[in-house]
Amino acid sequence: MAEISNYKVAASPHKLAGDSTRRIMLDVLIALAPCLVCGVVFYGLYALMLVALCVAACFAGEQLYNLARRKPFTFDLSAVVTGVILGLNLPPRAPWYIPLVGGVFAIVVVKMLFGGLGKNFANPAATARVFLLLAYGSVMTSFIGADVGNFLQTDVAAGATYLGGGTSALASSFLHVEGYWGNVLQLFLGYTGGSIGETCVPAIAAGFVYLLVRRVIDWRIPAVYVLTAALMVLVCWGSASEILLQLFSGGLLFGAVFMATDYATSPKWRYNRVLYAFGLGVITVLIRRFGSYPEGTSLAILIMNLVVPVLDHYILPVRFGQCGKGGKPVPAVMQWAMRALCLAMVLALAVAVPLVNYTEVRLDTGRYSYVTEARREFGGAYVFTVEGSAYLEEYDYTQPLCYEIRLDASGTRVLSIDPVTQSTMGYTAELSFFEGKTCAEIAALTDLSTDLDLSATRTNTALRAMALECFAAYDSNLADYAPLSAPGGHITGVAQSGDLVRFTVAGAADLTEYNYVQPLAYAVTIDRATGRVYCITTINESTYGYTVDRNAFVGKTGAEIAAMTDADVAADISTGATVTNVAVRDLIAECFAYLDSATGGNLNG
Amino acid sequence: MAKFAGGVHPAGCKQRTAGAAIGVCPAPEQVYIPLSQHIGAPARPVVSAGERVLRGTLIAAADGALSANVYSSVAGTCRGVIDHITASGKKAPHILIENDRSDESVSLPPLAERTPESVLARIAEAGIVGMGGAGFPTAVKLGVHGRADVLVVNGAECEPYITCDDAIMRAYPQELVQGIRLAMLACGARRAVVGIEKNKPEAIGSLRAFCGEDVEVRPLRTRYPQGAEKQLIYGCTGRKVPEGKLPVDAGVVVVNVHTAFSVYRAVERNEPCYARVMTVSGAAAGRPQNVWVANGTPLRAVAECCGGKEDCARIVLGGPMMGEPVFSLKVCTGKTTSSLLFLDASECENKVATPCIGCGRCVQACPMGLSPTFIEEAVFAKNYAEAKRFGAESCIGCGCCSYVCPAKRFLAQSVKLAKKIIRERKV
Repeated sequence: MAEISNYKVAASPHKLAGDSTRRIMLDVLIALAPCLVCGVVFYGLYALMLVALCVAACFAGEQLYNLARRKPFTFDLSAVVTGVILGLNLPPRAPWYIPLVGGVFAIVVVKMLFGGLGKNFANPAATARVFLLLAYGSVMTSFIGADVGNFLQTDVAAGATYLGGGTSALASSFLHVEGYWGNVLQLFLGYTGGSIGETCVPAIAAGFVYLLVRRVIDWRIPAVYVLTAALMVLVCWGSASEILLQLFSGGLLFGAVFMATDYATSPKWRYNRVLYAFGLGVITVLIRRFGSYPEGTSLAILIMNLVVPVLDHYILPVRFGQCGKGGKPVPAVMQWAMRALCLAMVLALAVAVPLVNYTEVRLDTGRYSYVTEARREFGGAYVFTVEGSAYLEEYDYTQPLCYEIRLDASGTRVLSIDPVTQSTMGYTAELSFFEGKTCAEIAALTDLSTDLDLSATRTNTALRAMALECFAAYDSNLADYAPLSAPGGHITGVAQSGDLVRFTVAGAADLTEYNYVQPLAYAVTIDRATGRVYCITTINESTYGYTVDRNAFVGKTGAEIAAMTDADVAADISTGATVTNVAVRDLIAECFAYLDSATGGNLNG
Repeated sequence: MAKFAGGVHPAGCKQRTAGAAIGVCPAPEQVYIPLSQHIGAPARPVVSAGERVLRGTLIAAADGALSANVYSSVAGTCRGVIDHITASGKKAPHILIENDRSDESVSLPPLAERTPESVLARIAEAGIVGMGGAGFPTAVKLGVHGRADVLVVNGAECEPYITCDDAIMRAYPQELVQGIRLAMLACGARRAVVGIEKNKPEAIGSLRAFCGEDVEVRPLRTRYPQGAEKQLIYGCTGRKVPEGKLPVDAGVVVVNVHTAFSVYRAVERNEPCYARVMTVSGAAAGRPQNVWVANGTPLRAVAECCGGKEDCARIVLGGPMMGEPVFSLKVCTGKTTSSLLFLDASECENKVATPCIGCGRCVQACPMGLSPTFIEEAVFAKNYAEAKRFGAESCIGCGCCSYVCPAKRFLAQSVKLAKKIIRERKV
């Protein structure tokens, strides 16, 4: 037998699982690559330079610190990982010194001063981002729009983010997808303003899958984080459509996959990780909704990092066969509580999403006095948010009012009214006056007084005007009108949607006091089922107050309008307003005349 | 099937030795039979220098209640009690016997009747100890006076490379089942469960052919440490042995497959325990195989029989997860040495500890629910009360924490140290 001599003695276990610290860091870098590529494609080579500077600052910072402390140099790639993550967190047009300051802060202050690899109490990249946000607020919140293929990006437009600017920061249609789903698609692909690496969801997802396959990160942290955030968005915004917009914007997904899962600063036991991720989701959304910063991911990670040592110290796994003082097995409370929490969140989302699933409706908001926003509910009904005021003479006080008025899908009736803001002193609107009524019925309401007093009546009067404007907003934004040929005269356009016929009319009012002929243009909608005026929407009229009194016409029949004398429509205010009303009366009468003349109701004939 | 939490899944590497017939390692010129091959007091020598002994002659008798008889494994001349190194590196008394190649043997007297008392007495007489590695005297373990209703037989063999139990289950299924029934008789259990990892389908099949209603074969998930006592009991019966208690407190007695087979040999064949089946494997073993090895054979003789290669980077007595490293081939085998591995450089790692990165893999991997990284931190801070709070006392030494650690830290050793100090200082 050959002599065996060259063997060594070492402690068991003799064979180890293959991973090493450097291999793990390399895996994270590989997982970050898609985000970096997308960032460079969207925001140009300057973004690549920022990331490279950041990596260089982190690496050099670590080695210089080692040199100063006379410690061996470290080549475990962890500084490179920190550099790339922080670099991808920077705005694409940050000045050159931002990555240098951030990188040195992250590595030297947050990591090395606390003992180096594995000893830092907070995620270096997240802490550095928060530091930069506080120190260079305007720099860190100015973003540019994405521009694919323009690598040098000589002239780029400043671009707002969804979190900073709402849907107005997004295109009205993206890749031929209109409206809400277009917004979602745009945010999903990351073709919007944002930090270099955080916008592109497919790239982040690719990194996440890679890290899971390589078993580098625990899936629980990103999964529970996103689940909690989704539920919190639902609770804080009360809208299911907001969930995807919030999840796909800002650094939430990037932070969930790459920063919240940082080993040193996340809990060690899997069920503590669930609790940690739950806290992250709650804090992130609270900051976004109620805080003064539009983005909360880094701050949430920083806050929860501080909680981690407490979790690790006080919440321990139940040991195999562990018994309490009475000799009874210790129940695995934490384990079941966390499972129940996740299950409850999934169930709550599954139940609540269909109930509050509605989409924003884009309104041409400048045209309305009261209507501020509209949305479509899951069942098809429209919800208008109206804001106005009532002047309470007795108290010499202008009471702000805000209601949510629901119209049915065809815009025929008011389904319900929810008060948001009105007097708390009892001068509340009598909702039963309006609920279940059609446009014409509300317009025809004459007695809005209640037993109580004058202030309540004022509130009712204000609400009537608001409700009528909701019908007008429905008419001009939401009803599906098919255009017909216009007969000429003062009628410039006719369109039909079901029983509603919409006339565009143009005329003029001779304001003799000012020696000025005021051009007038309105959209007059007539409901053929009732034969009454449905609504009147202003297209053009005097901006000096000589405006039409809609309540004089809305809800009236053609015969009633034809029978109105000039005195009937005279406004108290001024002759200018009266002249306008007279002109409008004639325009409406012309519309009714055209409707009557249409043979057999066929407007095309 | 109850599944324990944690654990790891190292590559099995059992194909080198599984399936082949069990060979015989020729007895060497001299055998050094340790007086202490078991937990408890070393046996008391009953032969003197110059005396002739046969294979099966009692050479050292049990000294006290927790001890075991030791028999000569060869025929030859006793050369007295000498101090010889053991695997742990310390010297211990061994009886040196010079083999005269006559191979004369002597048996125990036949057993007249099969009562619990007589079987238990025979097990004690034959010097049978737990042959899975712990070496607890089997007669003491089985003498629970009916406090256990289930006998769990450990055929899990979760350590990579080792296949000696697998070989016995395949080669001697009928005898093994007979041994299990005798052990049930001795301890008063009404049924027996044989736990076997699913990666041994042949063993499961061959045993099932001989099992009746009283003996059940339970295939277990292939996951290290499935063969650890508490995890095995949980997998086979769904019972959890309370922390700090013995299996019998959960109504269970556990014996190893090889132990049960030795019970059969002692009762039915009247052969005392002086030899065992050992796995010799590893990439640096020339002829990896399972062999019958006489107790007291120096490892050098085993290596010669199975062809240890020059490129051997590490020699391990036991499995790669928990086995002890061998520093000298002069060390001798005993009743509990289940395998000898010759690992080449690709199969073992010369690790250097780097800073903990806090990944928590050791916490997820610990089958006992401990937090090895925090225990290590507490040990470094000499805060043993803290180490106790994180559960250091419950460590079973399986080595899962060190196995998964990407920073290559010596976690299992730290926890072992913490456990030792907590016990010594009564923290």
